[in-house]
Parts: sequence; C-alpha cells; structure tokens
Amino acid sequence: MRLYAESSKCSGCRACLVACSLNLFKENNPKKAALVIGAHFPAPGNYAVSVCTQCGECAAVCPTGAIQKNDRGAYYVIPADCTLCEACVPVCPENVMFVRTGLAETAWKCDLCGDCIAVCGTDVLRIGEIEAKA
Amino acid sequence: MNGYGGNILRVNLTTGKITKEPTPPELARDFIGGRGFGAYFLFKEVPQGADPLGPENKLIVSSGPLSGLMIPGAGKCDFTCKSPLTGGYASASLGGLFTAEIKYAGLDSIILEGISPKPVYLFIEDDKIELRDASSLWGKGTFATEKELKEKLGEEFQIACIGPGGENGVSYAHINHDYGRQAGRGGVGTVMGAKKVKALVIRGTQPIPVADLDAYRKAGMAMYDACKKSEMLKPWQNLGTTMVVSWCDEIGALPTRNFSAGSFEGGKTLYGPYMREKIVVNDKGCFACPSPCGKYSRMKRYGTNVEGPEYETIGMIGSNLGLAEIEDVAQANLLCDDLGIDTISAGGAIAWAMECYEKGILSKAETDGLDLKFGNVEAVFKVIEKIAKREGLGALLAEGTKRAAQKIGKGSEKFAIQVKGMEQSAYATHSATAMLLAYMTADVGAHHNRAWAITYDLQVGRELVNADKVARVIWLQHIRPMFDTLGACRLQWVELNLDLELYPPALEAITGVKRSWQDLHLVSERIWNLTRLYWAREQPGFGRAWDMPSPRFYTEPPKSGATAGKITSLEDVNKLLDVYYEQRGWNANGLPKLETLERLGLTRLVG
Amino acid sequence: MSAKLHALGIIKSYIGGKSEIVVDAGNTIRETMRALNIPSEIVALVLVNDAPQAKEYRVQAGDVIKLIAVVGGGVNEFRNE
Repeated sequence: MRLYAESSKCSGCRACLVACSLNLFKENNPKKAALVIGAHFPAPGNYAVSVCTQCGECAAVCPTGAIQKNDRGAYYVIPADCTLCEACVPVCPENVMFVRTGLAETAWKCDLCGDCIAVCGTDVLRIGEIEAKA
Repeated sequence: MNGYGGNILRVNLTTGKITKEPTPPELARDFIGGRGFGAYFLFKEVPQGADPLGPENKLIVSSGPLSGLMIPGAGKCDFTCKSPLTGGYASASLGGLFTAEIKYAGLDSIILEGISPKPVYLFIEDDKIELRDASSLWGKGTFATEKELKEKLGEEFQIACIGPGGENGVSYAHINHDYGRQAGRGGVGTVMGAKKVKALVIRGTQPIPVADLDAYRKAGMAMYDACKKSEMLKPWQNLGTTMVVSWCDEIGALPTRNFSAGSFEGGKTLYGPYMREKIVVNDKGCFACPSPCGKYSRMKRYGTNVEGPEYETIGMIGSNLGLAEIEDVAQANLLCDDLGIDTISAGGAIAWAMECYEKGILSKAETDGLDLKFGNVEAVFKVIEKIAKREGLGALLAEGTKRAAQKIGKGSEKFAIQVKGMEQSAYATHSATAMLLAYMTADVGAHHNRAWAITYDLQVGRELVNADKVARVIWLQHIRPMFDTLGACRLQWVELNLDLELYPPALEAITGVKRSWQDLHLVSERIWNLTRLYWAREQPGFGRAWDMPSPRFYTEPPKSGATAGKITSLEDVNKLLDVYYEQRGWNANGLPKLETLERLGLTRLVG
Repeated sequence: MSAKLHALGIIKSYIGGKSEIVVDAGNTIRETMRALNIPSEIVALVLVNDAPQAKEYRVQAGDVIKLIAVVGGGVNEFRNE
C-alpha cells in the first residue's frame, strides 16, 4: 500500500502537514512532516503535492538497517538506529525523505498512518495498492 | 504557555531595538489572543490623540491560541492599530499561512513601534530577528515584493507586505500575503507604510505546546470529520463567498451604483457559477482549512491571474461601479491587490466619485479628464492607479469617502456610504434592519465581518424592528469576533454549520483552560466594550451620531430591483439604536455605563 | 414524470422536516418552491444534478434538485437559547 496525491485538488492548506507531524513526532510542527506541498504562484496558480511511494530505495541504502517495514507495508524509520548519515535523502525519487538535524535527531518519512487523509477537506490524498509503473 | 507561542515581540523601528517579553498569563486569561491582544495593547500603549501615521501609533500583529494547530481554518491573524481612515479602532483579519508561522517562531504578537528612518523589512527566523534594508523593494507591487523575497529567502518563509498604496499613505491601504490574502480594512497597510516597513517575513520551526496532546488530536479530528460530513462542504468549496452573489441580487442586497439600489440588471455575469465556469482555475485555502473559499482565477482577456474576486469585491467593484463582467472585476481586483489598497473602500470611494460625476458635482476637469460614468471599465482601472499614487482625483479619493465628501460638499455627504468613516461593505441595507444595525454598530466602521445578520433578516422578516433582531446582532458581534480572537476562521461554523460545541473541548485540550461559550462571550463583550471606549477616548464628542448610517438607507428608496420603494424609516433607525444600547448596557448616547464596565472587569484598565 | 428534491439546512423545516421529497417535472424551480411554500429569498443556491442552476430552470424527469439555504451561522442554536 502507498499514499497517492491528486495535486490538482490541493488548495494548499497544509492541514496534512500538521497531522503528519503530530503522528510522527507528537508535535504541532509542519516543518517536520513527511509530505511536501509546493506552491506555484502567482502563475500558473497551483500546488504540487509530493508523497512517499514506498519504493524502498531509502531502506535499500540505509547502512544501519534503520528503515524497516511496518505492518501497514510502509517503510518507517527507527530513530534509535538512525545515524543521520543522510544516505537515504538523495536516493529518494520524490524528495520526501528527510534529515534536518536542526529539527530532529532522526531521519523521517511517511509511515502510512493516514492522518493526512483524515484532515484533507478536498480529497487530495488516498491510500491504495501500489500500482505497477506504466 | 500551552497553546501559545509564548512571547510578545517588540520592534522599535525608530531605534532598531528588538525585544521579547513572555506573554503575560493574565493577558491570555482576560483577552485570549488575536484581536483581544490587539485591542488591549492599543488601548493601553498607544497614547490618547496619537497621530495614526506618527511614531506613537503601533501596529499590533497577533495570532490566537488556535492558530497554527490542527483545527479547521486555524490561520487567522489580527492586525490592530489606530486607523488612519477613521481615527478610531482598526482591526483587520488576515488569512493564509502567516499566523501559523508566528506561533512556530515562538511568538503570539508582534508590535511595531516608532518609525524607521529608511525602508526596512522585518526578518524573523525563529530567534534570529532583524530589520533589513528594503530600499530596493520600496515602490514595488505586492506580488513582485513577495516573489522577490521568497526567491531570495526560500519558499518556507511567509510574507506580508504593502504595495505603493501603503507607501503613499492611501487611508485604506492593505497588507497583502500569499499572492491574494489581505488584512484589508481600516488602513493597517497605511500604518505599516508610515512606519517604513515594506514587509514582514517569517519562518518558525518550533512546536506549539499543548496541554493534552491526545485529547487535542481527538478534538481536532472530530472537527475535520464533521466538516467533511457537512452537506454544505461541496457547494461551498465550489463557489466560496461568490455563492451569495445571485442571492443578494435577488433579494436586493447587492450594492448597485453606489448603493442607490440592491439589484443589478447586469448581475448575471457576476454570479458565482458564471465566474467558476469562466475564470476560476483552482481553489486556494488558508492554513488548515478543509473548506477553501479562495478561488484562483485566470483572466484570459488580460493575460493575468488573481486570487478572487470574492463576494465583497464583486459587489463593491462590480455592481456598485456598474461593471457587469466578472473578468473586468477580477482585473480591477488584481490592480488593487498589487497596488496595496482595500477593494471594499476603493469600490466605495470610486462609486461615490462616479455619482458625483454623473450629478455634475465633480466636473470632467476634476476627474482628470476621465469620463467617470458608472460602468466605464477603463476609467475604473485608471482611478485605482491614481488612488494608489495619490495623483489628481486619486489624492482626494485616497482620503476615504467621508473626508472626500466633506471636502467637496455640495450635498455629496449624503451619498458617502460609510459609518464612522469606513466605507460600507457589500450589502445594501435599505430593507434589512439587522444588517443595517450591524453596520451602524460595528467596532471598526461599516464592515460586515462582525455581524453578518442579513440571513437572519430574510429568515424572520427584513423590515422587522424588535428586541430579538437586536439580540441577534449582539450575539453575532460576540461570536464572530471571538473567532478572530482565537485565531481561527468562523466560516466552518457559518457555512458548514460546524457545531460550536466542538470548539470548547478543543480549546481546553490545547490551552488546559476550560471555557464554555458563555465564558467566551464574556471575553468578546469585554473586547467590544474596550474598543467602544477607545473610540470615545480618541474622538471628542463620540456617541450616538457616530452610529448613524448613510442617510441613503432612510431617505432614498431604490427605484428598481427587489427593494424598489423600500427604506428603513429614521424612526426605526433610532429605535434600533435605543434597543441596542439598552441591551448592551450603554447609556442613551451609546457609551458603556459604569456598571457594565465593572461587570466586564474593565474599570481598572480604563481608569 | 417526477424528480427528487433535497432540502439542505433550514429548508427542511418547510417540507415537514424531511430531507427529500418527490416533485413533478415540467415546472420551474421557482414555481416548485412556491407550491411548497418555500420562500425563494431564503434559498441561496439551487443545484440540479450537482450543477448550479437559476431558479427559472425547468425541472426535467429524473433530476436531483438540491435547495441550499442561506446559513449565516447558528440559526438553531440561537433559537434554542
């Protein structure tokens, strides 16, 4: 399973980011969220939502095995095992693998909790089976 | 302090000194946040008789305890100062993403004091707070300013900035944010311009502490769930505030040709569904909002984009100026946003000038050669630019409708559609007594935000004048501004019918303080009375006369439309005020009685 | 030949507290509302098959009509006080 985002429906409110940080870190802090909303204004005037595809590239390069699969089938970070080496960051094809040392003592990523979906009023996000690439 | 950023930031622009003080717990207890903080600091710290454009005035920017949290619409920021438009209390609410960053930067209020010797912008990145040179930005439009700052500093920074209107001292200059959200009314941008502050730039990375994390997440989720289940969600998302254009046209509340009527024969090409079809390309929401009312539009005719227009602008720049095509209204909206002036007051001032011109009170020489007839699109575009530059006729209109009419005279005061010096927003009130009273008594002048009572008029009988209607207006004046105090949007309650009882548990989980709506009403009433006293302190002779509406609504019945032949009698206008003052605990001249101030715990503050 | 009419918000109280009733096709929305004693001036928006329509729209067989009331916040709460 993975998260899917339909960017054309996004209105840029970022409720998903707050919900995400509350799940990952038990904090109100959208700077520590695992999805990204890019805003393109004043033209063309739309948003681009980047989400984790659970492709596993991050886990494949993690030297300490700190990125594992949870029972939802999502890769998640075990903070105690993360050495902040940042090997996972450049390999992420969606730029949603995070290491920001000023903000947290661990890497972080989407663990497929689904809270972002619960607060999205415009139905941008959904969790679905991973589809084969066209 | 749970639910709060925890600090008040003071920036003395004259000396460059920047200080922080902890947010006083008793301030949070008595005034909660947002516009409550603004009203408190204004009353307490800006000396009596301060020049709105002088160093003694302060611009107080405040978030509330819900701002930046997982609460629907928790993105409301209050800007308070002494108004250069009215000489009284100004409080303007800004949506978008700005207020959340204030909290993440560990702040509740930012107080700008003094006047900078040169153009600056205030840079805040957590604890790194600096005044930086803005000489190269001075003179630029709000869009170019925001774009340049974001490109230079990064997308995560949120920007609130002024345009040429604020720099040039237009009395109703706004503060623009996120390419189309404004703190619009009362000249808050004028005060920022007088202080030589081009922009506020902020990014915070700190968490907001809450009292009970699990209870808060549960309460917040319950609110989102209720919003998403609302049968009003989809229609509201589709049209936003433009949903009411056709309704207002039908019932005679759509301001037409300087409020001379309430129905517009060209209205159909201003209606929400027409606009959605023709120009809207996307929805644009404020922070944490599940029901975005912002509509982002592309005007093919002009090759431009704008957020909006929303209802107020459609009414004030559209029908009120006789413009019938939404694309033209959207373009005028863009000009106002970029030049940094409030579309409502600008629409009111231009409509007044158009009526003067059509009646021969302003000659073509006095309109700088413009054929300023209702419906002349090109003339509207040119006048907007003239206002922002304070050039020719624009210099007169930049004063606001009340002062412009005093200057020109010749009976034009009678059709200056304003209360307390603030242009009336976009509801024609010939026959809607609760809405009329709402405009008469709103704390900043004739603004709809405090009590959108017109739906109640239509539900119970628009011409009725009774105690229930007055009570309804007061109830709305406590409940709606409370949202601006909490730092969240009221529209989930207003439009989606979100249950008000969902708020107290969320607020308690966040702040750790249990408050019922009854408690919140009391705080609202305290703020309302304090701002009333502020007016009385600043304006000699302040009282009942200041609450009178434009005579148009009690002397000049519209000739056409749903309200043709209808007005509210002067007797009813006075009766509305009598009952209102009595219910508020004010004397016959509209000033709070001592016992009212005692009940609200205000006697010590006001001396 | 009939259509369905959904009432949202306070309009429900005008059709006996129901949220859905069956109405005849062939009349305009305005005529339909008049027959049901629903005051046009409290209806902010008409959706037919989820698309906004004017009150002059003539109802077709099988249409799903939604009448959306002007809201303005807390009508019921206020009345209960």
